[in-house]
Amino acid sequence: MSGETADGPRYIGPKRPDRTLGGNHDTFWDWCGKGELRLQRCGNCNHLHWPVTVRKCESCGEQAFTWEPMSGRGKVVSWTTFQQDYYRGLMAVPYDTILVELDEGPLFMSNPQGFSWQDLSPEMPVKLAFLDAEDSAGTFKLPVFERG
Amino acid sequence: MPPSDPALSRKVSIVGVGETDFGADYQAERKRPEGWVPPTEESLLTNAFERALADSGLSREDIDGVTCSFTYGGPPAEEVAKMLGIKARYAEANGNIMAGPLPTACAAIAEGKADCIAMVFAVASRSAGRLFGGMTHSTGGVPDPDGEGGAPASYYYFHPWGWSSQAAHWALIFAHFQWKYGVGEEDLYHVAAQVRRHAMARDNAVMRKELTLEDYLASRYIVRPLHLFDICIVNDGAVCLIIRRADLAKGLAHVPVDVAGWGYSKIKQNKMHTMVREQLRPQLQAASTDALAMAGVTLDQIQHFEGYDASSFHLINQVEGIGFTPPGTGLAFCKDGQMTVGGRIPTNTSGGNLSHAYMQGWSQVVQAVRQLRGEAGQYQVPGIEVSMTNLAQTDQTHPIVYVRGDR
Ligand SMILES: [Zn+2]
Repeated sequence: MSGETADGPRYIGPKRPDRTLGGNHDTFWDWCGKGELRLQRCGNCNHLHWPVTVRKCESCGEQAFTWEPMSGRGKVVSWTTFQQDYYRGLMAVPYDTILVELDEGPLFMSNPQGFSWQDLSPEMPVKLAFLDAEDSAGTFKLPVFERG
Repeated sequence: MPPSDPALSRKVSIVGVGETDFGADYQAERKRPEGWVPPTEESLLTNAFERALADSGLSREDIDGVTCSFTYGGPPAEEVAKMLGIKARYAEANGNIMAGPLPTACAAIAEGKADCIAMVFAVASRSAGRLFGGMTHSTGGVPDPDGEGGAPASYYYFHPWGWSSQAAHWALIFAHFQWKYGVGEEDLYHVAAQVRRHAMARDNAVMRKELTLEDYLASRYIVRPLHLFDICIVNDGAVCLIIRRADLAKGLAHVPVDVAGWGYSKIKQNKMHTMVREQLRPQLQAASTDALAMAGVTLDQIQHFEGYDASSFHLINQVEGIGFTPPGTGLAFCKDGQMTVGGRIPTNTSGGNLSHAYMQGWSQVVQAVRQLRGEAGQYQVPGIEVSMTNLAQTDQTHPIVYVRGDR
């Protein structure tokens, strides 16, 4: 099975390598399950975190977080397309990944939904969507991005 | 790793270097002839040590310290000392990649813990079939590495989107650079081709066939936009450096090479932003400024550079970031011949990680020594007195400055 189609955007299946779980990671995925992308905002210095911060603020070292909903709007900063099968067949290669700058600031690694790397242009606007996905811990909602 | 400190400058000299037969061992592993036995860390490091000892002209009894650096496992340092027949009053496991190990060993000598240390590095990742991505050793099923309040160490968090591997970092940086500066894959080709030309002049290089633009563009992608030839090789091998108190390093087999300065800087937050948009430039600037200040030399005085070409483009991150050429100009700089002998900064003159051997930064140090001794052959930099190596990972950088010890 190949992720590449002749003339349409490629489709990445629901089977995914395992998420990082436990503690604050669970909170992140719980919000995704409710259809919300929420990131941690530091109550002390206002720094917005991604990836999930496990213990303390990467900016000031405090531990006062609130889970802030993101608007789901952003733009593409960079991209990579995997040809090497790093996940030993779990995800059919090739598949695309995009680095999205959320309107709120953080850079978020994701997959394009409904378009592929040939369609990309610098700072291309994108918007959040959720994909039904599955890893060894069960089913979950994966944040991905459509054309904005 | 000890901080930059002018009081530690030139206190220690590199007096012996040894490497295994990277190219021959690589070919043997591919062909696996009848009776072939895969190398182990132990067999490799013993070979590199004996060569470094012979190179130094010292006797085994002159060595009173050992440091060990293994990428995966390996015996404890005391056991290695015994194995090598060294009576060591200092024996330490000392990191793996060539970053902290050399400054740390220099500091140990300055503190009087030893006078002469054999530093061994060994890796058998090719014959062990290591993958540098996916749910493998560095990421799958290990405790969360984000313990000490820093940026995540790796691609640990991005598995559900299928984003992993060191290669993907460099691909992501280059894809952004392509947009920012309007360059193509054929512009990047010149970096891999230049490093390959250097390797072609080395007997023990793994890759010694000329790399044409056609070969390069026709090669498979690892992570687009990076091709196979943009990514470092994975091979087995070992490197040994013998370092000695500088005042005891005169009158030996070779001109001593003094460790003159080092620096270190790491991304503290917003890793993706700093990596992709700034190509690690703030860290490269800060760390190289510290290393040069400790050494008491200026950037203009650096005559040779050995960067960490985990990928072709990552070498450009370093050449631009340290300031050998302004941001955005690195690919043209390379194409123009500025990264070889006769250009502004001959770079990776042994063939680097891309074509010579991937020894996690250790063979770059050996090449700096060979250049400063005048043993670099076809790509010898004439009249060289000052050299710099740099190891740069995705979020941190470690430059070291060396000078000929007869100045
Ligand atoms: Zn904070």
